[in-house]
Amino acid sequence: MQFFGGSEISPSPPAPTVSGNNAHMVYVFNRNGVCLLYREWNRPLHTLNAQQDHKLIAERGNLGVPQLPGQGCSFHSFRTNTYKLSFMETPSGIKIILVTHPRTGDLRDSLKYIYNLYVDYVMKNPLYRPGSPIRSDLFITTLDQYVRSIA
Amino acid sequence: MTEKKGREVSESCVDSLLTEMVSTYCNRFYANKPELAARRIEAIGYQVGHQLSERYTMERPRFNDHLEAIKFICKDFWSELFKKQIDNLKTNHRGTFVLQDNRFRWLSRISIDPSLENGDSQDPSAMAESKAAQATSMHLYFPCGIIRGALSNLGIPCAVSADISNLPACSFVVRIKA
Repeated sequence: MQFFGGSEISPSPPAPTVSGNNAHMVYVFNRNGVCLLYREWNRPLHTLNAQQDHKLIAERGNLGVPQLPGQGCSFHSFRTNTYKLSFMETPSGIKIILVTHPRTGDLRDSLKYIYNLYVDYVMKNPLYRPGSPIRSDLFITTLDQYVRSIA
Repeated sequence: MTEKKGREVSESCVDSLLTEMVSTYCNRFYANKPELAARRIEAIGYQVGHQLSERYTMERPRFNDHLEAIKFICKDFWSELFKKQIDNLKTNHRGTFVLQDNRFRWLSRISIDPSLENGDSQDPSAMAESKAAQATSMHLYFPCGIIRGALSNLGIPCAVSADISNLPACSFVVRIKA
């Protein structure tokens, strides 16, 4: 029996589009709307408490939920004066939301890379219980490093 | 010349299977009896190591001494299993060998939850660490068994234990029975 596999993380990370301190926050929700992860690097305003904040973002994520199977999710980002929100939903119901500086480019590849990190360091971690908040040091450190490198 | 590209197995499948095996033995078959679970998992590893060593030494001549056999484990055998070699080999020249892998593949995704779910405030960090360390060490009985099975098949009875004081590096200590 031959053990066979690809490289550690694939695809390889996309090249950075802008430099500087652009990324503000990231949210990861699961199918039931449980917030698995919230990371903040640069948040100018704190108006809501944590629960209200998560509920607001989760509902915003529901904008893109497909009505029928086969219908793709058409919503992937919107931009305001002060921030840009990029969104990705996987077939397994995991929603990844990235809030960045308004002039950031298309982040779809970055969201896919973050999802790959999630699969590798969270789903494949034997000590992780699905549905519980993510506390994996490895995942959080790698995520921090990656986000700082793209923004 | 053998054709290497034949039937292959996805690495994710193997990783998931091993995770489930450890979890099943620890939480279902031998819940609350970690020593028994460890023995069963190690025994499975022993069988696997036995068979794999048969396969991977097919075209080689016999080994001259213990060191040659250990070097085979460190280089060819480890490469077949984990696509890399053992990073560091130490010996006391009296039958004990330490095989160190600086980034052991089957531990590379394990990450310990630094906070504690429930427990007394006396020494939370120590309790959390020992629970996680115990869960992690359960995953090492299988590779220890593989090494022991492989060496046994090469005529070298031994005892193998693992040391994870330095994650993700992992050391396997092989003590050859005189």
